[in-house]
Amino acid sequence: MAQVRMGFLVDTSRCIACRSCQVACKAWNHLDADKTVERGSYENPTDLTPNLYNRIRFLESADAGGNVKWLFMNERCVHCGDAGCMKVCPAPGALHRTEEGIVVFDKEKCISCKYCVSACPFNIPRYGADDKVTKCHLCFDRVGAGRLPACAQACPTQTLQFGGRDALIAKAKGAGKKLYGENALEGLGVVYALEEKPEVYGLPENPSIPTSIFLWKDVVRPLGILGFWGSVAAVVVHYVTFGSRQLEEDGKGKGGDAHG
Amino acid sequence: MGKRYVERFNTAERVLHWFVAASFFTLLLSGLGLYSRLFHGYFDLFGGGVGAILAHKYAGAIFFVSSLMLFLNHAKEMFTFDEDDRKWIRSLGGYLSKNPEHINSGKFNAGQKLFGIFMGGATLLLGVTGVINWVPESFPRGLVQFSLMLHGLLFVLFVMLMILHVYLTTIGNPGTLEGMLYGNVRRIWARTHHPKWYKEVEGE
Repeated sequence: MAQVRMGFLVDTSRCIACRSCQVACKAWNHLDADKTVERGSYENPTDLTPNLYNRIRFLESADAGGNVKWLFMNERCVHCGDAGCMKVCPAPGALHRTEEGIVVFDKEKCISCKYCVSACPFNIPRYGADDKVTKCHLCFDRVGAGRLPACAQACPTQTLQFGGRDALIAKAKGAGKKLYGENALEGLGVVYALEEKPEVYGLPENPSIPTSIFLWKDVVRPLGILGFWGSVAAVVVHYVTFGSRQLEEDGKGKGGDAHG
Repeated sequence: MGKRYVERFNTAERVLHWFVAASFFTLLLSGLGLYSRLFHGYFDLFGGGVGAILAHKYAGAIFFVSSLMLFLNHAKEMFTFDEDDRKWIRSLGGYLSKNPEHINSGKFNAGQKLFGIFMGGATLLLGVTGVINWVPESFPRGLVQFSLMLHGLLFVLFVMLMILHVYLTTIGNPGTLEGMLYGNVRRIWARTHHPKWYKEVEGE
């Protein structure tokens, strides 16, 4: 019996943007602080970095009356069931899946090709000064020891609910939540209950492996191997059936200059 | 008439060609593991994936310059197609016939010209996509994704044509390789394969 797939249910309606998740992640993973600038928003930093595996994305809007509305979303690797990064990674083991369904990286095995950066449907992987991949690994070390990921442990509002994926989805559905990522990409390991449409949060409406990446890995690659052996076979067959072009002796033979 | 041989490629041309060939095979061996995890064993030739990528970048630069030079040196001939070349294309050079018709090719036949044009174009595109794949953070994501796909596609076409190229210049047409190894080909080879060129050289 395979291990139950573990994951997150992120209930954005509960998030108060305290960013305990960001801090706890840095503490557990020994990640340095990034220098940032004050730019008139509590959102900080403004993007994932090699030292920031998850962060709260702030969506600030004002209506005609000048009333400000805040939406908060925990942004991180969502541990796709069909992961673009794993699909393109040429280094065996550099990106791999644990038995809990978590997509983890191994810097020792990463060869710095950066293919994962381009293949991710959510633009998550980052490369640091060491030129190696980083992203949320869902505290697979803690999870493997039966503990909560650091971010979930720190979350005071139960926005980040960690557990068996199916059970979390069933519970959220029972509570009438609209879910994002239940089935896309063979199911995301991080499923969101959103208050608005996914586009509002900057999430793709129907996330999928980028078309060019699909063509590269699922069309060009297999056809290429066929093309290689097809060319070898064609050449061998030609040699056996038509043969090589022999040169006629000087002054002899009518076919002397018959060939292009 | 006394000499048995005709000069086909001078020393500079031959050296350039073998620069292209050597860098191509380096690119092939270092790139196979990047093409598919099936071939990750080839990384070991370069001490691992990081070494293979480094070799791929250096060999890529050498290949880009040398292959483009080779193409530009012959660009005028490559793009000139006469009636005999059209005849060659219609009959596929007679390669699929037991009794090929007479085709009066010049120094390069139509197949070689088309091959040269592909090589020039592919070199340019592989170079451009190679640079994009090299520093993906500097380009829009959609462009990098397309560039990765195109680099792989051109690689496949390139290898397929290379198999054909090696066959046609070795066992397919005995006597051809001598021109690229030593510079000279036998007169009978020149008269058989490139009669129009042979007449020009003989007339000198």
